[in-house]
Amino acid sequence: MLTTEPPKPTRLNTGIRILDERLGGGFERPCALLLFSRTPAEKRLFAEQFVMTGLRAGEPCLYVDFFRAPQLILRELGKFGTVEESRLRLVDATSAQLLIESDQRHVIRDLTDLDGITRTIRTAIEETRPARVVIDSMEFLADRFDRDALFRAWREIGEAARAVGAAVAFLFINWTYGDADVARVVEMSDYVVEFQTRVRTGVVRNYLRIAAQRPGGLSTAWIPYTFKDVSGLTVYFPRILVIGPPNAGKTTVVRALCGNSVSVDTMGTTVAFDYGNLDLSGLEAEVIGTPGQERFEFMFGIFAREVSGILLVLDATRPEELERAKSLLQLVGAESSVVVLANKSDLPGRLDEAAIRAGLGLAADVPVIPSVATTGQGTKEAVLALAQRVMGV
Amino acid sequence: MISLVPVSAQITGAVDSYGTDDSRRTVRERVTPIPGDALPSHYSLLVSGPPGVGKFEFLLDLARTWIGAGERVVFVTLDLSPAEVRDRGLALGLQISEAERNQFVFVDGYSANGPAPTESRGDRRAYTVSSYANLEGIAMTLQKAAAEVGPPARILFYTLSTLFLHNSPPAIAKFLQIITSRVKTSLGFIAYAVHEGVHEPTTMSLLRSLTDGVVELRFTPDMERELRVHHLRGRWVDPGWRPFQWEATAPLIGGA
Repeated sequence: MLTTEPPKPTRLNTGIRILDERLGGGFERPCALLLFSRTPAEKRLFAEQFVMTGLRAGEPCLYVDFFRAPQLILRELGKFGTVEESRLRLVDATSAQLLIESDQRHVIRDLTDLDGITRTIRTAIEETRPARVVIDSMEFLADRFDRDALFRAWREIGEAARAVGAAVAFLFINWTYGDADVARVVEMSDYVVEFQTRVRTGVVRNYLRIAAQRPGGLSTAWIPYTFKDVSGLTVYFPRILVIGPPNAGKTTVVRALCGNSVSVDTMGTTVAFDYGNLDLSGLEAEVIGTPGQERFEFMFGIFAREVSGILLVLDATRPEELERAKSLLQLVGAESSVVVLANKSDLPGRLDEAAIRAGLGLAADVPVIPSVATTGQGTKEAVLALAQRVMGV
Repeated sequence: MISLVPVSAQITGAVDSYGTDDSRRTVRERVTPIPGDALPSHYSLLVSGPPGVGKFEFLLDLARTWIGAGERVVFVTLDLSPAEVRDRGLALGLQISEAERNQFVFVDGYSANGPAPTESRGDRRAYTVSSYANLEGIAMTLQKAAAEVGPPARILFYTLSTLFLHNSPPAIAKFLQIITSRVKTSLGFIAYAVHEGVHEPTTMSLLRSLTDGVVELRFTPDMERELRVHHLRGRWVDPGWRPFQWEATAPLIGGA
């Protein structure tokens, strides 16, 4: 039973580490989250991870589900790991639809009665006093009830959650409303987490972006993410390209970043490419090192598809190569996010940052990070700086 | 590889005659299996007809053609369990469980709604959807299944009508529009079966307007079955009604 409440954290994290860091620890509490998409996308995984993260931290959580019976919810949450069932409360809106008995305390029996539905959810929130609430989903209700009545119910649930200091996440795909109504929905939210799925050559890629609705609040770019059983959601960059003049240390950078890298090389210089998987603080990426020699430039066209970001590695002791590095940057295109690694920065005679900037003609906001790839120094910082540029926060 | 029972359950129809103008051939002469290979790979089709007329058999015959041609099939079932679809497929001479090794995958929107436990995946690939009302879940799952078997895939949806019991027509229309355009851009072909006579005429017109082609099935007053290709966008079709039938190698109900 939930008799004593532990001190409440002021932020509620998403469980995606790199994202939580950018959010300053998570969503401010209390708050209303809108998990929104215009086309079908994986909102539920995010909601489930949000709940599982809370349960692991010892927080009571409430899940209101109009689509899944309690057994099914528990089974599906199991893909994130062991479910702390003692802290999880469910509002069962499904058993009645399936004409089966419910063993839950909070049950919605009449799906034609919006007031009754709202009352049941409110009661569950007041009795459970959860830290996190998920309503899965609002489009189920939008499909069935008058718009204004639904907006009243929406507000009421939001207020009930706020009163107990909870973060409430409303899942909502908009099949039904026009832009003005969507704007009203957004207005009721403190954060909008928007989801998008893109299918390219048969590969499904998921993206999300977060926007705080208060003036001056943070707002991210479209962040690519992926899901794996147990480890859950992680930010995922399908391709980080490592470019630079010959012998700048690109392969060493890939090796420093990735535990499992492989190289195709001859006589110590890369002639095909280096490849490795990176797993860093909730960020996963595939890192591809390109050869520096000009005769391999044709490969850029092949790798340039679906590039998440670029690490430009240069030998900071060799000013004569800045010109070559600059032309490589032009080759990969201006629209990619770039971070420059001034490598071999432990050696004498290295260029300073200003000289590198001038030599490459860099925009002021492109980070230049001194690195020593042989020891790994500076390489992680460069990836995190790149992540920041891609994520927009 | 899959093995198919010899072609004994072929549905006979008249969709073979694109571009031919010899309509005086006898029905038997012009009859070939419904040419699944004549349907474009990025395309959408509505298959309508009263309950019992043979929409399911029509879809399975398309599946047979495609499986035989080495194509990948995704079967979205809302009205029957995968086990029933397999049984009825077998009765029509189509060994779905064989094809499930590498060419055929179910999206099961049926099992999670009943008291029977969802079938375990085992070596068979099956994607489940939690509820008929979860349009978004259906869309996501369909997309994942098609991506797994590998596009371009042939997606069969049985039936759209069931969605109407659980969702509002506008929500379904938007779902259909979004799914169809997504399938056509990146996943392949989709055919939706819909029951005639249970939806409002305006709803039916809306559904017809959202797909590239319409195949209609009907009963004659003598309870014979007829089929016509009403239209296929971008194709010439002979829209005449043609007798249509299938042969079963085993009883369709109750197993062999």
